[in-house]
Amino acid sequence: MTDEFDSLDPNVRWIVTEARRPVPVDAAARARVIDAIKAEPVPSRGLGLVTWLSEPHRLALPPFATAALAAGLVGIGVLGGLAINRDGRSAAGQLPAVAVGQPQLPDSLSPRAVKFVLIAPQATNVSLVGDFNGWDSGATPMKTSGGTWTVFVPLHPGLHTYSFVVDGTHFVSDPTAPIAPDDGFGHRSSVVLVRKPSL
Amino acid sequence: MDRYYERCARFAVRMLGSRDDAEDALQQTFLRAYRSLGKYQERDRFSAWLYRILVNQCRSAASRRSQRERVFVREEAALLNAADRRQGWAGEDEELVQRILAELDPLLREAFVLKYIDELSYEEMSAATGVGVSALKMRVKRACDRLRARWEHIKDD
Amino acid sequence: MRAIALLAVATSVSFAQDARERATDPLGRLDPSTRFAVEMLMDSARLVGLPHGPLESKALEGISKRASGRDILVAVRRVYRALREARMALGPSATTDELTAATGALRVGIPASELSRLAATRTGKPLTVPLVVLADLVTRGVPRDTASVTIFQLFQRGAADDDFLGLWRSVERDIVSGTDPGVALLNRAREIPTKGTSSAVPPASGVRPDDAKS
Repeated sequence: MTDEFDSLDPNVRWIVTEARRPVPVDAAARARVIDAIKAEPVPSRGLGLVTWLSEPHRLALPPFATAALAAGLVGIGVLGGLAINRDGRSAAGQLPAVAVGQPQLPDSLSPRAVKFVLIAPQATNVSLVGDFNGWDSGATPMKTSGGTWTVFVPLHPGLHTYSFVVDGTHFVSDPTAPIAPDDGFGHRSSVVLVRKPSL
Repeated sequence: MDRYYERCARFAVRMLGSRDDAEDALQQTFLRAYRSLGKYQERDRFSAWLYRILVNQCRSAASRRSQRERVFVREEAALLNAADRRQGWAGEDEELVQRILAELDPLLREAFVLKYIDELSYEEMSAATGVGVSALKMRVKRACDRLRARWEHIKDD
Repeated sequence: MRAIALLAVATSVSFAQDARERATDPLGRLDPSTRFAVEMLMDSARLVGLPHGPLESKALEGISKRASGRDILVAVRRVYRALREARMALGPSATTDELTAATGALRVGIPASELSRLAATRTGKPLTVPLVVLADLVTRGVPRDTASVTIFQLFQRGAADDDFLGLWRSVERDIVSGTDPGVALLNRAREIPTKGTSSAVPPASGVRPDDAKS
């Protein structure tokens, strides 16, 4: 049985036809939405920026965006996002929209930068996994400096569970963080509580 | 934004039934979309990503409301009367269609609306709802079966 | 419209193919029958008003940890049941974070009835932090009863999130230095000033004086 419109039962087709009619939009409500968006601060770039900066990637931009970049109109500063240089430290002179302990955004639900550190001198690579990146070990690689692995991650306020992955296979909990009870897979995870910025 | 706003508005109203709830859900959707620009990867199609937010906002709105009140409790008789209505003006039909959709279980309604009203592909629906394609197909089929069985004579003049 | 303009110039990063798949179909790497079962559980969660995020997250965690489909399903089911129990204990106003934290406490054996009693006393203060600290300390060896009584009393007497986190940090340090976990908790809890009492917890019998390890 196909699920195309024409093969629908005629009564159901009537329902669909009626339901497809546009809904009159309340102009005032729509204006409110636009006002609300205008009142928002420029959004932070998020995880994408962190991973982008921590590994060389080829940028593929639409043509006019390239021009905009060249003109200095679009970039880390203008996007107002998390300014992270390759070492994972906050780049001096650039205004971070979010920084550890230094909330700049008025919205208490906006992500805050959280620093994760693991001291693992023998490791070849370490990445951070958790409920904020789908436990994807490729999403948030960490950078090492003399065996200390670090990454900054923007996290929404609230409870997050996470773990480190060492050399692709070993799941290691954070020795400096509260333990989340047994994950059901034989490992222990860690908990981080991201605080809302105080206004 | 206009194009997106109208489509999203239609989805929200069909899903939630109440203009007020739909407007709230819409505002939340666009605000979150704007805030999450950082997470948007260009690989994801914008509309699929926006739908994902919209679907979630409507679900939240619905569950919040169901804790307050049962909006769509209707007497069987009232619904039968609605079905008996002859050619009315467009407003009556819209109200009728809303009641018909409201009768469906929310998950079935969601799949049905995304499939036939918003005309998303199953892959797009899967991305928006986080549900697998086979489960979605089943829900759409069930929705059609229910509607067909329930509204056998709706078209009759 | 500024939002659209910004979208248009959002940088695109060349992720690997599977990263793109993950973005659109995170559960795609589950075998079909496991996936179906997990999705049905998520459906059930939605229908009864439970958050489905923790369920999906647990499934993704299992995928990442290369667990078998069966183990993943068992883990997701456990999360579902725990969330349901947590919801019954904490009531319908509990946030997702509170529920998640409560599942941790349930997991280490805190009875649901005690969680209910705790929830009954709160006046708008979230339970998340105390429950996380509670679950952690029990995992580290603090006896369940000691931990729950101490934490609950602190909460009822007005201890704030910062107090609990500070408590956790110093107790953890003490345990690492060799102090008996239960003793460490009782000692450190007494250091927290709370409303209306000079000491947070009455001293238990047989407790050694604070070793002041910091």
